[in-house]
Amino acid sequence: MTKNFLFGFLFSVLLIGLVACGQPAVGKAVGDSGSSDSGSSEVVNQSSGLEDSAPKTGAEKSSATKSELKTLADVSEQPSGVFNRLWSDPPTLDPHLTSDTTSAGVVVEIFGGLVGFDTNLQLIPDLADSWDVSTDGLTYTFKIRENAAFHDGTKVTAGDFKWSLERAVNPDTASPTAKTYLGDIVGVEDVLEGRGSEIRGVKAVDDVTLQIQIDAPKAYFLAKLTYPTAYVVDKNNVSEGGLNWTDNPNGTGPFRLTDYKIGERIILERNDLYHLEKAKLAKIQMNLAGGSSMAMYENDEIDITGVGLFDLERIKDPGDPLNGDLVVAEPGYSVNYIGFNVEQPPFDDPKFRRALNHAIDKELIAREVYSDLVVPAYGILPPGFPGFNESLEGLRHDPVLAKKLLSESKYADPVSRPRIVVTIPGTGGTPGLDLEVIINMWLETLGVEVEIQQVEWATYLKDLDEEKFQAFGGLGWEADYPDPQDFLDILFHSDSENNHGLYSNQEADVLLEDARVETDSVRRIDLYQNAEEIIVNDAAWVPLWFAGERHVLIKPYVKGYELTPMTMSKMRYVYIED
Amino acid sequence: MWVYITRRLLWLPVLLLMVSAVTFVLGTYGPGDPVRVMLGTKYDEDTADRLRSSLGLDRPIVVQYIDYVSGAIRGDFGESLRYRGRSVGSLLASKMWVSFQVNLAAMVVSLSIGLPLGFWIARHQGSWIDPAAISFTLVLMSIPIMVSIPIVLWALCLKLSWVPCSGWGGFFDLRIVVPAITMGVPGVAGLARLMRASTLDVFGQDFVRTARAKGLSESTIDIRHVLRNAIIPIITILSFSLAGMLTTGFITERLLGIPGVGDFAIQAIFNRDYPVIMAFTMILSAAFVVANLLADIAYSLIDPRIRLS
Repeated sequence: MTKNFLFGFLFSVLLIGLVACGQPAVGKAVGDSGSSDSGSSEVVNQSSGLEDSAPKTGAEKSSATKSELKTLADVSEQPSGVFNRLWSDPPTLDPHLTSDTTSAGVVVEIFGGLVGFDTNLQLIPDLADSWDVSTDGLTYTFKIRENAAFHDGTKVTAGDFKWSLERAVNPDTASPTAKTYLGDIVGVEDVLEGRGSEIRGVKAVDDVTLQIQIDAPKAYFLAKLTYPTAYVVDKNNVSEGGLNWTDNPNGTGPFRLTDYKIGERIILERNDLYHLEKAKLAKIQMNLAGGSSMAMYENDEIDITGVGLFDLERIKDPGDPLNGDLVVAEPGYSVNYIGFNVEQPPFDDPKFRRALNHAIDKELIAREVYSDLVVPAYGILPPGFPGFNESLEGLRHDPVLAKKLLSESKYADPVSRPRIVVTIPGTGGTPGLDLEVIINMWLETLGVEVEIQQVEWATYLKDLDEEKFQAFGGLGWEADYPDPQDFLDILFHSDSENNHGLYSNQEADVLLEDARVETDSVRRIDLYQNAEEIIVNDAAWVPLWFAGERHVLIKPYVKGYELTPMTMSKMRYVYIED
Repeated sequence: MWVYITRRLLWLPVLLLMVSAVTFVLGTYGPGDPVRVMLGTKYDEDTADRLRSSLGLDRPIVVQYIDYVSGAIRGDFGESLRYRGRSVGSLLASKMWVSFQVNLAAMVVSLSIGLPLGFWIARHQGSWIDPAAISFTLVLMSIPIMVSIPIVLWALCLKLSWVPCSGWGGFFDLRIVVPAITMGVPGVAGLARLMRASTLDVFGQDFVRTARAKGLSESTIDIRHVLRNAIIPIITILSFSLAGMLTTGFITERLLGIPGVGDFAIQAIFNRDYPVIMAFTMILSAAFVVANLLADIAYSLIDPRIRLS
């Protein structure tokens, strides 16, 4: 209480400073008009993983050099065209510190790793041109490409990879993602804990051969290596550049960083030495200053923008001049939910939790509140994600069953039922229409009264860790790598630190543990689907929404831009047509 | 007077030390911590502990504070926790410089409309123009910025295509027009009223009556005698607002894509970027002290009846 008061005081002192020049102060941040997620944009933006759910796009005048270089020679060899987009200031351009999509979206174009994804989320070789996995699934041997080079022309060696991986996990680097993405490698734990600086499990056999040993056969290990934490950096670049080495990064990606002014712009230019298919664009201009994305798009300042709920109806009208630019893309890999703390009454009774699930008509909310911008979720894994179970029934809308379950539960009697509070992150705005409707559905169908409490983001995270909340909403989970382990194991295993609802089911734990080491991919998916079914039927959550189809405007002269459900290097495929 | 100024300036470091101590303690003991926010929804206690120790956040608060102050004295405000590896000093300096330029442009708009308007209203005191014009400026002032910006954008950018819709290109770039108008016009009301009051005050002075009695033309009286004297109190009041010119509101910044300090500071608070919050608070405190001092000095120069001691 006192702490909160003191902090509030500090906050208001700062606000006075901000408001001093006569600006009205408003509690809730004004959202980017290009953002397509309505309720929980703050949370979605904070967590790591995916991009394009809200492409913040745009830049200077787009006319620039649209068709400078057009010779008879092979078009793909001659870079041409400028792509303009809106972006936000990346918190870092250091691949090893990257943990958010804003940073990752730039980092993946400047740097690279052993392997990557193509736009269909298939694993493709990047700096390694081939790899072998030992029969026990523990040793990966990578062959580095002949023509692998940094932007300045220096060859990339296996030693560079070893040095980079060791830098990523060194405590001095303070990487927030090292354990998640590299923790499977033998010896990483020791380096993280400060016991030595060499990773035992990483060996540079010769200049072009890199051997990595992991602690157990893990089907998703290669997918983890696509994340920037596992990228190669140039030792000299890092040690000579000091703290701000990322101002002049010497990467291996399809583009080079040629200009970066915080809050203003990032300019990427084509890397002519790129080892894979070279980029077709000459330049990418990213406007970091922000602004009204839709207006900038209409004014030809940017080439791509997300469409929010409020502009969608207008643009869907075939008569609208922008209608032709509309691109509808597959949903991103994320799920929104309300979590229950299963150790706190009344959520310790599965029947009560199931009753709440059955009482919500998600189809109605998706249609009427979100204009079908979201897809109702009945399971945990998003559609299109590996392991997605189309036949999963889940806890569908069934008011009769809901009432029956409530009457059978320990908390059937409204008088003795504890007070119920759902806590969501936020600072004074509306809690989001979906939550208000859901609470109303609970009241009308079941007569269960639920209150909403808003807590500021940093405090929310802290309280979440301490399992202070009875129920918590406004959260989304996004995939870091396309593997069911990233959702089910991390969120629902009894020992997982991200299991904030303290859900625990021995049967599910055993399935999840078996799946970790199962090498047969079909059986592995089976294990995950079984676990998912148990979790869903135990009503550990109310799964709410999968991000629906994303609506994006792309200028008709921009070709080859793929909207992918995860961040990946893909700007090299884009070209500008005259 | 020099003694007075020196004494005031000597108090500045003491004041800053107090502000920094309070901010530091409140920040450290307030709920939430920067490492937790850095990790987002994906939590891992080992990683969090490791980050805290790598960033020196696990040291005793007194040690952290002394470390901070000794750095700040040397002009080193530390590194941002959100923009990893960036020095807070250079981050804030570039953002504040942008905010200052925007405010300057807005002030040019306020002054160039407000002063002539106030004078004109004063000349028409007693007629319907006086209340009508003052009410009109009040209406303009009362339009919230999140209403006025979209309207101005729609007109100037989308309909007329005179200026780009958003972004930032420096003081002499066309894109400064919209923020200058939307931030400058609300300031007109206050300035016009001040100018009106101050002009009326001068109108009533003996020297104006004398000038008129001497048969000087109305325009000579206006320009030489009235205007000059009427503007003086306004200049002193403007020096008060100097400190405020270092910041801009985050709503304006977000809507118009201005890389100013307002949104940056708000984000710093949400992300518990303590080094940035600390430096921002201290710079603003110092700016307010200096601006107040300047205003005091300006007063005493203009009005000899006020003695600084």
